[in-house]
Amino acid sequence: MPRYLAAVVLLASLLLPACSRELDRVEVAQFIDRADEAARKRYAPDICALRGKKFESRLVFHAHDADEPSELDMTRKLFCREAGSFSQLRQYQLERKSMSIQLARDRKTATVTAEYVETMPYYEPDRRPATLDDFMEFQVVEILDESVVGIEDGDLVFLSTRSEAHQTLVPKTSLDIPYD
Amino acid sequence: MKALAGPAMLLVIVGGFTIYKATSKDAVPSRDFTELELAADDEDHTGTCYSLSTVLIANGVFGDATRTWSAPDPDNEDKWDLELETVRHGPGGPARLYQVFTFEKFGEQVRLVEVDASEELPTDVTENIDRLLEAPHYRKSTPVDRCREDGGTGYHYPPKK
Repeated sequence: MPRYLAAVVLLASLLLPACSRELDRVEVAQFIDRADEAARKRYAPDICALRGKKFESRLVFHAHDADEPSELDMTRKLFCREAGSFSQLRQYQLERKSMSIQLARDRKTATVTAEYVETMPYYEPDRRPATLDDFMEFQVVEILDESVVGIEDGDLVFLSTRSEAHQTLVPKTSLDIPYD
Repeated sequence: MKALAGPAMLLVIVGGFTIYKATSKDAVPSRDFTELELAADDEDHTGTCYSLSTVLIANGVFGDATRTWSAPDPDNEDKWDLELETVRHGPGGPARLYQVFTFEKFGEQVRLVEVDASEELPTDVTENIDRLLEAPHYRKSTPVDRCREDGGTGYHYPPKK
């Protein structure tokens, strides 16, 4: 019996911390820093690894000059595929303008509200660019994100993200976005 | 009681592992299902001369779209949904494009029984079958054994040159 008891205690000691783990603001802030850095590197596997298995994203996008916004719901799979398309960009800038973190009462999840400005080349939708420099305007997208983060399999991940984005097109010559 | 503790623990571990395996991976139809000949949507459900897997491969399994297989009824291995999703970046912003093909086994064939799709895409089954067959016809994909024999014919097969 003591042998089985030891095994049960060992198993419980491994599982309990995962179940009882609580979040704090510092941990969440560090997680968001890591997520922003992954976005800046535009490396899809890193971006994807920070999303939970059931991650869902909802984007309301106000395109430049469009009368009505477009709405886009994405599962984790589609989100990760889209993240892959960012790797083609050679000029990309992501600035976080603000962030607030609200911990849930049970401290198992947190809601993060953040404002970003994302700048990247704007390739006209119905035209295939000859090179990556073949564009006339940059798109500056102001984004208000509301994400829920929580623990999954012992790791902090995004559980969902709702974003409202406003796009502005500016002449290519008006901005100096470094290549990376 | 003491004698049961070991097997009970083993049962919990094996059970847990089985549940984990069953829920953690995307479900996909068996090879037996995808190797069945795809039927046309005509009255006789004429065979197209291509297996479902050949048709999907010839279509590049639809380019860069994400693909998700799911069984509408988990207890029925003879009916599968294939969902394709992509994002189209139009002038009005990004929008989700999707198609859901429902395939069902009937005897030695698999039929496309339903298509659900974004507004811009066709949902008519016959039209979708015709679109699906364009790629294997163009690529001269390998037909099923039945159609490799002399005089073997099928729906729109052999394709017009």
